[in-house]
Amino acid sequence: MEAVANSYDLIIIGGGPAGLSAAIYGGRAKLKTLVINKGTIGGLADTTREIVNYPGYMQISGPDLMKDFQKHAQSFNVEFLKEEVIDVDFSQENKLVKTKKGKEFYAKAVILACGSQPRILNIPGEKTLRGSGVAYCATCDAEFFEGEDVVVIGSGDQAIEEGMYITKFARKVTVIVLHDEGILDCNKVSAERAFNNEKMEFIWNSTIEEVLGEGNVEGVKIKNLKTGSSSELTCQGVFFFVGMVPSTKFLNNSGLRMEKSGYIPTNERMETNLEGIYAVGDNRVKYLRQVVSAAGDGATAAVAAERYIEELNDFNANILQTDKKTLLLFFNALVNESLEFNTLLEGVLNDTAENYKLFKVDTATKKTLAEKYKIDKVPAVVVLDRGEEIKRLDCSMDLEKLKSQLF
Amino acid sequence: MSLQQLDSTRFEEIIYDNCEPCLVIFSKKECHVCKEVVPMLEGMKPQYEGKFGFYYVDVEEDKNLFQRFSLKGVPQILFFNEGEYHGKLAGKVEEEAVEEKIEEIIG
Ligand SMILES: Cc1cc2nc3c(=O)[nH]c(=O)nc-3n(C[C@H](O)[C@H](O)[C@H](O)COP(=O)(O)OP(=O)(O)OC[C@H]3O[C@@H](n4cnc5c(N)ncnc54)[C@H](O)[C@@H]3O)c2cc1C
Repeated sequence: MEAVANSYDLIIIGGGPAGLSAAIYGGRAKLKTLVINKGTIGGLADTTREIVNYPGYMQISGPDLMKDFQKHAQSFNVEFLKEEVIDVDFSQENKLVKTKKGKEFYAKAVILACGSQPRILNIPGEKTLRGSGVAYCATCDAEFFEGEDVVVIGSGDQAIEEGMYITKFARKVTVIVLHDEGILDCNKVSAERAFNNEKMEFIWNSTIEEVLGEGNVEGVKIKNLKTGSSSELTCQGVFFFVGMVPSTKFLNNSGLRMEKSGYIPTNERMETNLEGIYAVGDNRVKYLRQVVSAAGDGATAAVAAERYIEELNDFNANILQTDKKTLLLFFNALVNESLEFNTLLEGVLNDTAENYKLFKVDTATKKTLAEKYKIDKVPAVVVLDRGEEIKRLDCSMDLEKLKSQLF
Repeated sequence: MSLQQLDSTRFEEIIYDNCEPCLVIFSKKECHVCKEVVPMLEGMKPQYEGKFGFYYVDVEEDKNLFQRFSLKGVPQILFFNEGEYHGKLAGKVEEEAVEEKIEEIIG
Protein backbone atom coordinates (compact mmCIF):
# COMPACT_ATOMS: atom_id res chain seq x y z
CA MET A 1 0.00 0.00 0.00
CA GLU A 2 1.54 3.24 -1.15
CA ALA A 3 -0.18 5.26 1.50
CA VAL A 4 1.88 3.51 4.16
CA ALA A 5 5.20 3.79 2.37
CA ASN A 6 4.98 7.55 2.17
CA SER A 7 3.39 8.06 5.58
CA TYR A 8 5.47 9.09 8.55
CA ASP A 9 4.91 9.99 12.15
CA LEU A 10 7.22 12.95 11.84
CA ILE A 11 8.55 14.86 8.83
CA ILE A 12 11.30 17.41 9.40
CA ILE A 13 11.78 19.95 6.62
CA GLY A 14 15.40 21.14 6.67
CA GLY A 15 18.55 19.27 7.72
CA GLY A 16 20.58 21.94 9.50
CA PRO A 17 21.46 21.67 13.20
CA ALA A 18 17.86 22.32 14.28
CA GLY A 19 16.38 19.68 11.96
CA LEU A 20 19.06 17.11 12.77
CA SER A 21 18.60 17.54 16.52
CA ALA A 22 14.86 17.09 16.11
CA ALA A 23 15.63 13.96 14.07
CA ILE A 24 17.80 12.53 16.86
CA TYR A 25 15.02 12.99 19.40
CA GLY A 26 12.32 11.79 17.00
CA GLY A 27 14.30 8.70 16.03
CA ARG A 28 15.14 7.89 19.62
CA ALA A 29 11.45 8.12 20.54
CA LYS A 30 10.85 5.49 17.84
CA LEU A 31 8.83 7.83 15.69
CA LYS A 32 8.98 6.97 11.98
CA THR A 33 10.95 10.05 11.00
CA LEU A 34 11.91 11.56 7.63
CA VAL A 35 14.22 14.52 7.11
CA ILE A 36 13.75 16.29 3.77
CA ASN A 37 16.66 18.59 3.00
CA LYS A 38 17.70 20.24 -0.21
CA GLY A 39 21.41 20.73 -0.68
CA THR A 40 23.97 19.53 1.81
CA ILE A 41 23.13 18.22 5.22
CA GLY A 42 24.11 20.68 7.92
CA GLY A 43 22.59 23.83 6.43
CA LEU A 44 24.33 27.08 7.24
CA ALA A 45 26.48 25.38 9.84
CA ASP A 46 27.91 23.29 7.03
CA THR A 47 29.22 26.48 5.40
CA THR A 48 30.97 27.62 8.57
CA ARG A 49 34.71 27.01 8.52
CA GLU A 50 35.15 27.04 12.25
CA ILE A 51 32.81 26.71 15.21
CA VAL A 52 34.28 27.51 18.62
CA ASN A 53 31.14 27.91 20.71
CA TYR A 54 29.36 24.58 20.52
CA PRO A 55 29.62 22.94 23.94
CA GLY A 56 31.97 19.98 24.07
CA TYR A 57 33.93 21.05 21.02
CA MET A 58 36.67 23.60 21.64
CA GLN A 59 37.07 23.98 17.92
CA ILE A 60 35.56 22.07 15.05
CA SER A 61 34.72 22.78 11.44
CA GLY A 62 31.04 23.23 10.62
CA PRO A 63 30.97 20.31 8.15
CA ASP A 64 32.62 17.96 10.70
CA LEU A 65 30.17 18.89 13.43
CA MET A 66 27.23 18.44 11.09
CA LYS A 67 28.50 15.02 9.97
CA ASP A 68 28.43 13.99 13.62
CA PHE A 69 24.87 15.29 13.97
CA GLN A 70 23.78 13.34 10.91
CA LYS A 71 25.52 10.13 11.96
CA HIS A 72 23.84 10.43 15.32
CA ALA A 73 20.41 10.79 13.69
CA GLN A 74 21.09 7.86 11.36
CA SER A 75 21.96 5.67 14.32
CA PHE A 76 18.33 6.06 15.39
CA ASN A 77 17.06 4.93 11.97
CA VAL A 78 15.99 8.33 10.72
CA GLU A 79 15.43 8.44 6.94
CA PHE A 80 16.87 11.19 4.76
CA LEU A 81 15.68 12.53 1.42
CA LYS A 82 17.55 15.10 -0.64
CA GLU A 83 14.79 17.20 -2.19
CA GLU A 84 13.22 20.60 -1.95
CA VAL A 85 9.79 21.00 -0.39
CA ILE A 86 7.73 23.43 -2.44
CA ASP A 87 4.22 23.06 -1.05
CA VAL A 88 2.31 21.82 1.98
CA ASP A 89 -1.26 21.25 3.10
CA PHE A 90 -1.55 21.53 6.86
CA SER A 91 -5.35 21.81 6.97
CA GLN A 92 -6.02 18.12 7.68
CA GLU A 93 -4.98 15.92 10.57
CA ASN A 94 -2.70 14.11 8.13
CA LYS A 95 -0.27 16.75 6.96
CA LEU A 96 0.76 16.72 3.31
CA VAL A 97 4.25 17.70 2.13
CA LYS A 98 5.07 18.03 -1.60
CA THR A 99 8.51 18.14 -3.17
CA LYS A 100 9.74 19.82 -6.31
CA LYS A 101 10.05 16.48 -8.07
CA GLY A 102 6.38 15.79 -7.44
CA LYS A 103 6.70 13.39 -4.50
CA GLU A 104 4.05 13.52 -1.78
CA PHE A 105 4.44 12.53 1.85
CA TYR A 106 2.09 12.46 4.80
CA ALA A 107 2.90 12.96 8.46
CA LYS A 108 1.11 13.31 11.75
CA ALA A 109 3.44 16.14 12.77
CA VAL A 110 5.80 18.41 10.83
CA ILE A 111 8.81 20.33 12.13
CA LEU A 112 9.88 23.34 10.06
CA ALA A 113 13.67 23.78 10.17
CA CYS A 114 14.40 25.54 6.90
CA GLY A 115 16.85 28.13 8.16
CA SER A 116 17.59 31.18 6.09
CA GLN A 117 19.41 32.48 3.06
CA PRO A 118 21.41 35.65 2.37
CA ARG A 119 19.40 38.79 1.80
CA ILE A 120 19.60 40.22 -1.70
CA LEU A 121 19.76 44.03 -1.72
CA ASN A 122 18.39 44.26 -5.26
CA ILE A 123 20.52 47.17 -6.30
CA PRO A 124 21.52 47.68 -9.96
CA GLY A 125 24.32 45.35 -11.00
CA GLU A 126 23.90 42.94 -8.08
CA LYS A 127 22.04 40.30 -10.07
CA THR A 128 23.66 40.78 -13.46
CA LEU A 129 27.19 40.60 -12.07
CA ARG A 130 26.60 37.65 -9.77
CA GLY A 131 29.45 35.21 -10.31
CA SER A 132 31.34 37.95 -12.13
CA GLY A 133 32.52 39.67 -8.98
CA VAL A 134 29.34 39.77 -6.90
CA ALA A 135 29.47 37.08 -4.22
CA TYR A 136 27.74 35.93 -1.01
CA CYS A 137 30.06 33.22 0.30
CA ALA A 138 33.69 33.78 1.23
CA THR A 139 34.53 30.09 1.63
CA CYS A 140 33.29 29.53 -1.90
CA ASP A 141 34.66 32.53 -3.71
CA ALA A 142 37.37 34.42 -1.78
CA GLU A 143 40.23 32.73 -3.63
CA PHE A 144 39.04 34.11 -6.96
CA PHE A 145 40.13 37.54 -5.76
CA GLU A 146 43.82 36.81 -5.22
CA GLY A 147 45.70 40.12 -5.13
CA GLU A 148 42.60 42.16 -5.95
CA ASP A 149 40.50 44.81 -4.23
CA VAL A 150 37.30 43.64 -2.60
CA VAL A 151 34.40 45.51 -1.01
CA VAL A 152 32.36 43.97 1.81
CA ILE A 153 28.92 45.32 2.64
CA GLY A 154 27.69 44.90 6.20
CA SER A 155 29.22 44.93 9.67
CA GLY A 156 27.65 41.99 11.50
CA ASP A 157 29.57 38.90 12.69
CA GLN A 158 29.36 37.35 9.27
CA ALA A 159 30.51 40.44 7.35
CA ILE A 160 33.52 41.08 9.56
CA GLU A 161 34.60 37.46 10.00
CA GLU A 162 34.18 36.67 6.31
CA GLY A 163 35.89 39.97 5.44
CA MET A 164 38.93 38.94 7.44
CA TYR A 165 38.98 35.58 5.71
CA ILE A 166 38.96 37.34 2.33
CA THR A 167 42.10 39.32 3.33
CA LYS A 168 44.00 36.03 3.07
CA PHE A 169 43.60 36.31 -0.69
CA ALA A 170 42.71 39.89 -1.57
CA ARG A 171 45.11 42.85 -1.61
CA LYS A 172 42.65 44.99 0.31
CA VAL A 173 39.17 44.61 1.80
CA THR A 174 37.05 47.73 2.21
CA VAL A 175 34.07 47.35 4.54
CA ILE A 176 31.09 49.63 3.96
CA VAL A 177 29.42 50.34 7.31
CA LEU A 178 26.08 52.05 7.94
CA HIS A 179 27.09 53.38 11.36
CA ASP A 180 29.30 56.15 12.73
CA GLU A 181 33.04 55.66 12.82
CA GLY A 182 34.16 52.85 15.12
CA ILE A 183 30.76 51.16 15.43
CA LEU A 184 30.37 47.65 14.04
CA ASP A 185 27.44 45.28 14.60
CA CYS A 186 29.72 42.30 15.19
CA ASN A 187 31.09 40.88 18.45
CA LYS A 188 33.89 42.74 20.23
CA VAL A 189 36.61 40.16 19.63
CA SER A 190 36.05 40.21 15.88
CA ALA A 191 35.82 44.00 15.80
CA GLU A 192 39.17 44.34 17.53
CA ARG A 193 40.81 41.86 15.20
CA ALA A 194 39.37 43.64 12.19
CA PHE A 195 40.64 47.05 13.33
CA ASN A 196 44.11 45.54 13.75
CA ASN A 197 44.09 43.88 10.34
CA GLU A 198 46.27 45.91 8.00
CA LYS A 199 44.36 44.83 4.94
CA MET A 200 40.97 45.96 6.28
CA GLU A 201 39.68 49.44 5.62
CA PHE A 202 36.38 50.98 6.62
CA ILE A 203 34.03 53.49 5.06
CA TRP A 204 31.58 54.76 7.68
CA ASN A 205 28.00 56.10 7.48
CA SER A 206 27.62 54.61 4.05
CA THR A 207 25.85 52.10 1.90
CA ILE A 208 26.20 51.08 -1.71
CA GLU A 209 23.76 52.09 -4.44
CA GLU A 210 25.06 50.25 -7.45
CA VAL A 211 27.59 47.66 -8.55
CA LEU A 212 29.45 49.01 -11.57
CA GLY A 213 30.94 47.10 -14.46
CA GLU A 214 30.27 45.52 -17.81
CA GLY A 215 30.86 41.80 -17.81
CA ASN A 216 32.88 41.95 -14.59
CA VAL A 217 32.70 44.08 -11.46
CA GLU A 218 34.77 47.23 -11.88
CA GLY A 219 33.64 49.19 -8.85
CA VAL A 220 30.82 50.27 -6.57
CA LYS A 221 28.87 53.46 -6.12
CA ILE A 222 28.92 54.45 -2.46
CA LYS A 223 26.40 56.75 -0.86
CA ASN A 224 27.27 58.65 2.29
CA LEU A 225 24.13 58.69 4.40
CA LYS A 226 25.21 61.74 6.42
CA THR A 227 26.08 64.04 3.55
CA GLY A 228 23.97 62.41 0.84
CA SER A 229 26.90 62.54 -1.54
CA SER A 230 27.90 59.68 -3.82
CA SER A 231 31.34 58.46 -4.78
CA GLU A 232 32.83 55.60 -6.73
CA LEU A 233 35.35 53.07 -5.52
CA THR A 234 37.26 50.79 -7.85
CA CYS A 235 37.20 47.08 -6.94
CA GLN A 236 37.05 43.68 -8.57
CA GLY A 237 34.80 41.98 -6.06
CA VAL A 238 31.78 42.80 -3.88
CA PHE A 239 30.65 40.50 -1.07
CA PHE A 240 27.16 41.11 0.32
CA PHE A 241 26.61 40.24 3.99
CA VAL A 242 23.48 42.23 4.71
CA GLY A 243 21.60 39.75 6.82
CA MET A 244 19.50 36.71 6.24
CA VAL A 245 15.94 36.04 5.13
CA PRO A 246 14.09 32.99 6.49
CA SER A 247 13.40 30.35 3.84
CA THR A 248 9.71 30.15 4.65
CA LYS A 249 8.15 31.55 1.48
CA PHE A 250 6.77 28.17 0.40
CA LEU A 251 4.58 28.28 3.53
CA ASN A 252 2.84 31.53 2.55
CA ASN A 253 -0.53 29.92 1.77
CA SER A 254 -0.44 27.24 4.43
CA GLY A 255 -2.39 29.13 7.06
CA LEU A 256 0.73 29.28 9.21
CA ARG A 257 1.13 32.52 11.10
CA MET A 258 4.33 34.33 10.13
CA GLU A 259 5.74 37.77 10.67
CA LYS A 260 6.08 40.06 7.68
CA SER A 261 9.77 39.26 7.69
CA GLY A 262 9.00 35.54 7.25
CA TYR A 263 9.95 34.44 10.77
CA ILE A 264 7.52 32.08 12.50
CA PRO A 265 6.33 32.88 16.03
CA THR A 266 6.17 29.89 18.40
CA ASN A 267 5.54 29.26 22.07
CA GLU A 268 8.14 27.63 24.31
CA ARG A 269 7.15 24.21 23.04
CA MET A 270 7.96 25.36 19.48
CA GLU A 271 4.28 25.06 18.58
CA THR A 272 3.01 27.31 15.81
CA ASN A 273 -0.59 28.45 15.43
CA LEU A 274 -1.32 25.16 13.59
CA GLU A 275 -1.82 21.92 15.50
CA GLY A 276 1.00 19.42 14.96
CA ILE A 277 3.22 21.97 13.18
CA TYR A 278 6.40 23.17 14.91
CA ALA A 279 9.07 25.69 13.94
CA VAL A 280 12.69 25.56 15.11
CA GLY A 281 16.12 27.12 14.69
CA ASP A 282 16.69 30.15 12.50
CA ASN A 283 13.14 29.87 11.14
CA ARG A 284 11.48 31.13 14.25
CA VAL A 285 11.21 34.40 16.09
CA LYS A 286 13.94 34.22 18.74
CA TYR A 287 16.75 36.00 20.52
CA LEU A 288 19.83 33.96 19.58
CA ARG A 289 20.39 32.29 16.21
CA GLN A 290 23.24 29.85 16.75
CA VAL A 291 23.91 26.12 16.42
CA VAL A 292 23.48 25.44 20.15
CA SER A 293 20.10 27.18 20.33
CA ALA A 294 18.99 25.57 17.06
CA ALA A 295 19.79 22.17 18.60
CA GLY A 296 17.79 23.01 21.73
CA ASP A 297 14.79 24.02 19.65
CA GLY A 298 14.96 20.79 17.68
CA ALA A 299 14.93 18.69 20.84
CA THR A 300 12.00 20.61 22.31
CA ALA A 301 9.92 20.39 19.15
CA ALA A 302 10.51 16.67 18.71
CA VAL A 303 9.41 15.96 22.27
CA ALA A 304 6.33 18.17 21.86
CA ALA A 305 5.57 16.40 18.57
CA GLU A 306 6.01 13.00 20.19
CA ARG A 307 3.47 13.83 22.90
CA TYR A 308 1.06 15.24 20.35
CA ILE A 309 1.32 12.12 18.20
CA GLU A 310 0.82 9.88 21.21
CA GLU A 311 -2.35 11.75 22.13
CA LEU A 312 -3.55 11.57 18.58
CA ASN A 313 -2.92 7.81 18.28
CA ASP A 314 -4.46 7.16 21.64
CA PHE A 315 -7.53 9.14 20.76
CA ASN A 316 -7.94 7.54 17.34
CA ALA A 317 -7.53 4.04 18.70
CA ASN A 318 -9.79 4.46 21.71
CA ILE A 319 -12.47 6.82 20.61
CA LEU A 320 -12.90 7.03 16.89
CA GLN A 321 -12.77 3.28 16.29
CA THR A 322 -15.23 2.16 18.90
CA ASP A 323 -18.87 1.15 18.38
CA LYS A 324 -19.90 2.45 21.76
CA LYS A 325 -20.87 6.00 22.47
CA THR A 326 -18.08 7.87 24.18
CA LEU A 327 -18.12 10.47 26.88
CA LEU A 328 -15.13 12.78 26.68
CA LEU A 329 -14.74 14.15 30.16
CA PHE A 330 -12.48 17.18 30.41
CA PHE A 331 -11.06 17.78 33.86
CA ASN A 332 -8.23 19.53 35.60
CA ALA A 333 -6.70 18.32 38.85
CA LEU A 334 -6.59 21.89 40.14
CA VAL A 335 -10.33 22.38 39.73
CA ASN A 336 -12.01 20.55 42.55
CA GLU A 337 -15.44 20.74 41.00
CA SER A 338 -14.19 18.82 37.98
CA LEU A 339 -12.86 16.03 40.19
CA GLU A 340 -16.12 15.77 42.08
CA PHE A 341 -18.06 15.63 38.86
CA ASN A 342 -15.74 12.87 37.69
CA THR A 343 -16.67 10.75 40.71
CA LEU A 344 -20.34 11.37 40.20
CA LEU A 345 -20.22 10.48 36.51
CA GLU A 346 -18.26 7.29 37.07
CA GLY A 347 -20.78 6.28 39.70
CA VAL A 348 -23.68 6.79 37.31
CA LEU A 349 -21.97 4.82 34.57
CA ASN A 350 -21.12 1.93 36.91
CA ASP A 351 -24.73 1.61 37.99
CA THR A 352 -26.10 1.14 34.52
CA ALA A 353 -25.71 -1.34 31.76
CA GLU A 354 -25.90 1.38 29.13
CA ASN A 355 -23.01 1.17 26.72
CA TYR A 356 -20.94 4.26 27.31
CA LYS A 357 -17.21 4.46 27.22
CA LEU A 358 -15.59 7.09 29.40
CA PHE A 359 -12.44 8.87 28.17
CA LYS A 360 -10.90 11.28 30.61
CA VAL A 361 -8.95 14.25 29.31
CA ASP A 362 -6.69 16.21 31.61
CA THR A 363 -6.76 19.70 30.10
CA ALA A 364 -3.45 20.53 31.74
CA THR A 365 -1.57 18.04 29.57
CA LYS A 366 -3.84 17.27 26.62
CA LYS A 367 -4.13 20.81 25.36
CA THR A 368 -4.68 19.82 21.76
CA LEU A 369 -7.83 17.86 22.55
CA ALA A 370 -9.14 20.66 24.72
CA GLU A 371 -8.52 23.04 21.86
CA LYS A 372 -10.06 20.73 19.31
CA TYR A 373 -13.33 20.71 21.22
CA LYS A 374 -12.98 24.35 22.26
CA ILE A 375 -13.19 23.59 25.97
CA ASP A 376 -12.69 26.74 28.04
CA LYS A 377 -13.91 25.53 31.40
CA VAL A 378 -13.98 22.27 33.33
CA PRO A 379 -15.74 20.03 33.96
CA ALA A 380 -17.10 19.58 30.46
CA VAL A 381 -18.45 16.50 28.71
CA VAL A 382 -18.70 15.94 24.96
CA VAL A 383 -20.75 12.94 23.82
CA LEU A 384 -19.41 11.19 20.73
CA ASP A 385 -20.97 8.54 18.54
CA ARG A 386 -18.37 6.78 16.41
CA GLY A 387 -16.16 9.82 16.79
CA GLU A 388 -18.84 12.35 15.84
CA GLU A 389 -19.98 14.85 18.44
CA ILE A 390 -23.68 14.41 19.12
CA LYS A 391 -24.14 16.61 22.17
CA ARG A 392 -22.59 18.24 25.25
CA LEU A 393 -23.77 17.64 28.78
CA ASP A 394 -24.81 20.18 31.31
CA CYS A 395 -22.37 19.17 34.04
CA SER A 396 -24.74 19.48 36.89
CA MET A 397 -23.95 17.87 40.25
CA ASP A 398 -27.58 16.87 40.45
CA LEU A 399 -27.67 13.11 39.99
CA GLU A 400 -31.13 12.92 38.42
CA LYS A 401 -30.41 15.75 36.03
CA LEU A 402 -27.24 14.03 34.93
CA LYS A 403 -28.97 10.69 34.45
CA SER A 404 -31.73 12.26 32.42
CA GLN A 405 -29.21 13.58 29.96
CA LEU A 406 -27.59 10.20 29.52
CA PHE A 407 -30.48 7.75 29.39
CA MET B 1 23.93 10.11 -12.93
CA SER B 2 27.23 11.74 -12.04
CA LEU B 3 28.81 14.28 -14.35
CA GLN B 4 31.99 13.48 -16.22
CA GLN B 5 34.88 15.58 -14.92
CA LEU B 6 37.01 17.41 -17.48
CA ASP B 7 40.64 18.45 -17.26
CA SER B 8 42.08 20.98 -19.73
CA THR B 9 42.83 18.35 -22.38
CA ARG B 10 39.41 16.75 -22.30
CA PHE B 11 37.88 20.21 -22.20
CA GLU B 12 39.62 21.13 -25.50
CA GLU B 13 38.52 17.90 -27.14
CA ILE B 14 34.90 18.06 -26.16
CA ILE B 15 34.25 21.77 -26.57
CA TYR B 16 36.50 22.69 -29.50
CA ASP B 17 37.27 19.48 -31.38
CA ASN B 18 33.98 17.63 -31.08
CA CYS B 19 32.06 20.90 -31.00
CA GLU B 20 29.50 19.18 -28.81
CA PRO B 21 26.50 21.16 -27.54
CA CYS B 22 26.99 20.99 -23.80
CA LEU B 23 27.22 22.69 -20.46
CA VAL B 24 30.15 22.68 -18.06
CA ILE B 25 29.70 23.43 -14.39
CA PHE B 26 32.70 25.05 -12.72
CA SER B 27 32.57 23.95 -9.14
CA LYS B 28 34.66 23.12 -6.08
CA LYS B 29 34.37 20.90 -3.07
CA GLU B 30 34.05 23.50 -0.32
CA CYS B 31 31.04 25.36 -1.69
CA HIS B 32 27.55 24.72 -0.38
CA VAL B 33 25.75 26.29 -3.32
CA CYS B 34 27.67 23.98 -5.67
CA LYS B 35 26.48 21.06 -3.60
CA GLU B 36 22.92 22.07 -4.44
CA VAL B 37 23.43 22.83 -8.11
CA VAL B 38 25.57 19.83 -9.07
CA PRO B 39 23.00 17.20 -7.96
CA MET B 40 20.31 19.13 -9.82
CA LEU B 41 22.35 18.84 -13.04
CA GLU B 42 22.97 15.16 -12.31
CA GLY B 43 19.23 14.72 -12.12
CA MET B 44 18.68 16.51 -15.44
CA LYS B 45 21.43 14.74 -17.37
CA PRO B 46 19.61 11.48 -18.34
CA GLN B 47 16.77 13.26 -20.15
CA TYR B 48 19.29 14.97 -22.45
CA GLU B 49 21.38 11.86 -23.13
CA GLY B 50 22.76 11.94 -26.65
CA LYS B 51 21.45 15.45 -27.27
CA PHE B 52 23.28 17.69 -24.84
CA GLY B 53 26.37 17.04 -22.75
CA PHE B 54 26.76 17.69 -19.02
CA TYR B 55 30.32 18.13 -17.70
CA TYR B 56 32.13 19.15 -14.55
CA VAL B 57 35.30 21.15 -13.89
CA ASP B 58 36.88 21.36 -10.44
CA VAL B 59 38.39 24.85 -10.32
CA GLU B 60 40.93 23.87 -7.69
CA GLU B 61 42.26 21.05 -9.82
CA ASP B 62 42.19 22.97 -13.10
CA LYS B 63 42.93 26.57 -12.25
CA ASN B 64 43.84 27.57 -15.80
CA LEU B 65 40.34 26.76 -17.03
CA PHE B 66 38.55 29.20 -14.79
CA GLN B 67 41.23 31.82 -15.35
CA ARG B 68 40.69 31.48 -19.08
CA PHE B 69 37.03 32.38 -18.72
CA SER B 70 37.89 34.97 -16.07
CA LEU B 71 35.36 33.48 -13.71
CA LYS B 72 34.84 35.11 -10.33
CA GLY B 73 33.20 32.52 -8.19
CA VAL B 74 31.50 29.18 -8.20
CA PRO B 75 29.24 27.58 -9.18
CA GLN B 76 28.95 28.77 -12.73
CA ILE B 77 27.42 26.89 -15.59
CA LEU B 78 28.94 27.70 -18.97
CA PHE B 79 27.15 26.77 -22.18
CA PHE B 80 28.85 25.80 -25.46
CA ASN B 81 27.81 24.80 -28.95
CA GLU B 82 29.91 24.25 -32.08
CA GLY B 83 32.99 25.40 -30.25
CA GLU B 84 31.45 28.69 -29.26
CA TYR B 85 30.71 30.05 -25.82
CA HIS B 86 26.97 30.69 -25.32
CA GLY B 87 26.87 32.46 -21.99
CA LYS B 88 26.66 31.34 -18.39
CA LEU B 89 24.48 31.06 -15.33
CA ALA B 90 25.96 31.89 -11.94
CA GLY B 91 25.15 31.00 -8.36
CA LYS B 92 22.08 29.15 -7.18
CA VAL B 93 20.14 28.61 -10.40
CA GLU B 94 16.82 26.88 -10.87
CA GLU B 95 16.30 23.87 -13.10
CA GLU B 96 13.95 25.91 -15.31
CA ALA B 97 16.67 28.46 -16.08
CA VAL B 98 19.04 25.70 -17.18
CA GLU B 99 16.32 24.05 -19.29
CA GLU B 100 15.57 27.34 -21.00
CA LYS B 101 19.19 27.88 -21.83
CA ILE B 102 19.54 24.36 -23.24
CA GLU B 103 16.40 24.85 -25.34
CA GLU B 104 17.86 28.07 -26.70
CA ILE B 105 20.87 26.13 -27.93
CA ILE B 106 19.42 22.87 -29.22
CA GLY B 107 15.74 23.93 -29.42
C1 LIG C 1 28.98 32.63 8.15
C2 LIG C 1 28.25 32.12 9.36
C3 LIG C 1 28.96 31.77 10.48
C4 LIG C 1 28.31 31.23 11.60
N1 LIG C 1 29.06 30.87 12.67
C5 LIG C 1 28.46 30.28 13.74
C6 LIG C 1 29.24 29.82 14.86
O1 LIG C 1 30.46 29.95 14.88
N2 LIG C 1 28.59 29.22 15.90
C7 LIG C 1 27.23 29.04 15.91
O2 LIG C 1 26.71 28.48 16.85
N3 LIG C 1 26.46 29.48 14.87
C8 LIG C 1 27.04 30.10 13.79
N4 LIG C 1 26.27 30.55 12.75
C9 LIG C 1 24.79 30.42 12.84
C10 LIG C 1 24.32 29.00 12.56
O3 LIG C 1 24.93 28.52 11.39
C11 LIG C 1 22.81 28.97 12.40
O4 LIG C 1 22.18 29.57 13.50
C12 LIG C 1 22.28 27.55 12.28
O5 LIG C 1 22.88 26.88 11.19
C13 LIG C 1 20.77 27.51 12.13
O6 LIG C 1 20.35 26.19 12.00
P1 LIG C 1 18.99 25.79 11.33
O7 LIG C 1 18.95 24.31 11.39
O8 LIG C 1 17.88 26.56 11.92
O9 LIG C 1 19.06 26.29 9.79
P2 LIG C 1 20.12 26.04 8.65
O10 LIG C 1 21.43 25.67 9.20
O11 LIG C 1 20.05 27.22 7.77
O12 LIG C 1 19.56 24.75 7.86
C14 LIG C 1 18.38 24.79 7.10
C15 LIG C 1 18.39 23.67 6.07
O13 LIG C 1 17.09 23.58 5.46
C16 LIG C 1 17.22 23.40 4.07
N5 LIG C 1 16.00 23.90 3.42
C17 LIG C 1 15.56 25.19 3.35
N6 LIG C 1 14.40 25.25 2.68
C18 LIG C 1 14.09 23.99 2.33
C19 LIG C 1 13.00 23.40 1.60
N7 LIG C 1 12.01 24.14 1.14
N8 LIG C 1 13.00 22.06 1.42
C20 LIG C 1 14.02 21.28 1.91
N9 LIG C 1 15.06 21.78 2.59
C21 LIG C 1 15.10 23.12 2.80
C22 LIG C 1 18.45 24.19 3.73
O14 LIG C 1 19.01 23.75 2.51
C23 LIG C 1 19.35 23.89 4.93
O15 LIG C 1 20.09 22.71 4.71
C24 LIG C 1 26.90 31.09 11.61
C25 LIG C 1 26.18 31.46 10.47
C26 LIG C 1 26.83 31.98 9.35
C27 LIG C 1 26.03 32.36 8.15
